[in-house]
Amino acid sequence: MPVATRTAPAVQTVDVTKVYRIGHTGYPALRGINIKIDRGEFVAIMGPSGSGKSTLLNLIGALDRPTSGRVIIDGVDLKKLDEDRLSLLRNRKLGFVYQSFNLIQRLSSVENVEMPLISRGIPEKVRKAKSLKMLSAVGLHGKGSKRPAELSGGEQQRVAIARALVTEPALIIADEPTGNLDSKTTREVVDQFIQVNKGFGTTILIVTHNSEIATMTQRVISLKDGLVDKEEYIQRLDSYSA
Amino acid sequence: MFKLAYKALIDRKIRSVLTILGITVGSAIILALIASSAGLNAGIAANIQKSGANILTIRNSGGFFAAGSTNTYQLSQQDVTYLKSIPGVIAAYPYYSYGANINNGGESIQATVVAIDLVALPALYQGLTVAEGSIPLLGDTTSAAIGWGIANPVSGTPIGLHQMVSMSISGIKGSKGAVSYAVLASGILAQYGTALFANIDDTIYISFQAGSILSKSPYFTGIYVIIDNTNDVTTVQNTITTYYSNNVRVISPGQILSSLQSITASLTVFLGSIGAVSLFVATVGIVNTMYVSVMERTREIGILKAIGYRPKQIMGMFLAEAALTGLIGAFTGLALGYSLSFLMGGLLAGSTFTGRFGGGGGGATIVPVFSTELIVFSLTFPVLLATVAGLYPAWRASRMNAVVALKYE
Repeated sequence: MPVATRTAPAVQTVDVTKVYRIGHTGYPALRGINIKIDRGEFVAIMGPSGSGKSTLLNLIGALDRPTSGRVIIDGVDLKKLDEDRLSLLRNRKLGFVYQSFNLIQRLSSVENVEMPLISRGIPEKVRKAKSLKMLSAVGLHGKGSKRPAELSGGEQQRVAIARALVTEPALIIADEPTGNLDSKTTREVVDQFIQVNKGFGTTILIVTHNSEIATMTQRVISLKDGLVDKEEYIQRLDSYSA
Repeated sequence: MFKLAYKALIDRKIRSVLTILGITVGSAIILALIASSAGLNAGIAANIQKSGANILTIRNSGGFFAAGSTNTYQLSQQDVTYLKSIPGVIAAYPYYSYGANINNGGESIQATVVAIDLVALPALYQGLTVAEGSIPLLGDTTSAAIGWGIANPVSGTPIGLHQMVSMSISGIKGSKGAVSYAVLASGILAQYGTALFANIDDTIYISFQAGSILSKSPYFTGIYVIIDNTNDVTTVQNTITTYYSNNVRVISPGQILSSLQSITASLTVFLGSIGAVSLFVATVGIVNTMYVSVMERTREIGILKAIGYRPKQIMGMFLAEAALTGLIGAFTGLALGYSLSFLMGGLLAGSTFTGRFGGGGGGATIVPVFSTELIVFSLTFPVLLATVAGLYPAWRASRMNAVVALKYE
């Protein structure tokens, strides 16, 4: 059940298209996407390869610009923002979690979590304390000084989740976050997302191939050939109380 | 920012060390060069200043300054008379100069014996004073004023006032082997150093009359000509050269100074360009290292972009890395250059042209001069250079497309 909208939705796309050009030929990846994700929602995006999932995610993540249409994040129209402002928006409002974790290997896990705060110019003591607290919140208490290579896949992904959460973003964008994990760890990580969603009220947008994961969210948006194929709300017995 | 830069450098230790090494060597060479040539120049200038720029030294053409010369002209009293008659000349002092070995209680000390009208000493060596006793009077053939280094030898017992100094003198014409000679130390000169191709501290000054007796010859080793006005030195020198053609050698301190300085200058330019080239190569090395580093860390740059680092911040991170490379190189270069400059000073001092300034005794030592400007320059220039070198790679990093960068394997 969607959470009632108090103000602007977390994500809104209006007739978004994206055409990749190679030479003189255009390859449309998105052909008019209209979706709306309310604050506090946990939404899965599914679809076969080439359906435009990643493209849509890059647009919502303010990493790329649409060919036409509008992307509105937390009430801010991205069209009006320059490169600097987009960076700022990513830092303030968005958190990313990737399939391959994307941690910086030479830094310890706590330093990885600190990275987005460093760009904000937050004093070292404050950001360290905040980052350690966030690591504890994702179940990595006492592992702050470990480097990514010293952690298991599930633990690494939780470091990435902590990094995404530490800035208290309006939206977390997760691109196949369990793609590299075994089923047991997948479960743990998804549990983590559910906890974050419930505990912090963070809006979560997750791209997945795994329908089992999709059923754990509140809503599934399926893409096909650059268009929204279907949207379904998940009705289930809530076994994941935080 | 610098902490992150430091971690990035540590992550690629060997590469960073090699890059830094380039900077170190380049800046060390430049630092050492500037410091030691500044020291050399200062040494030469001080030496010339001590000797006085208004003194010409006239020497027989053969011998030391013109090896292989067949010229047999020898300086005598008539030359003194002639030199005194040249307008602008206020005095001409003939002298005899010989190498000597002092027997000091079994220890042998190398010295130079100079016989000259001793009243000339203050005019020849400005600021030279007598530490103890007095300078022998005119015609006194049994006394001597001894240099500070003779009185206080590095090894062996010091020679005190009124002590007998016995020595064997070599190089006297017409004498086979060394001639034994003994004088009373009636005066000890204050420490002075080198001037007019002689180390005053290692010299024993005896009266001119004592020299004539010793040499048994009317021919002098050389004549010092003192000119009233420094501006007339060149004119007088030309007059003398024209008069004697190539029979004698005229040496002017100013000329020596300028020729030595031009040698030093070209040496500095030559070695300096080696330093500049190595610093340039090091800079190219930084560009290369940074560029490779940016390419390798494409994905990391993508991550930074995703978590909201602004292009300027990413550029700043890479510039910080470059600057840090330069800074470490600057400090290690300063340390290396400092030691290198003493080594280089030693080499320069040991080379022929400066060696002459040291006279018969110990060679002149060149003390490198480190001005504040030089230190500041050698600490900031490599940092500046490295930062400039980092500009392009850093700019590339900041302009990367986030989506493409994140996909990079």
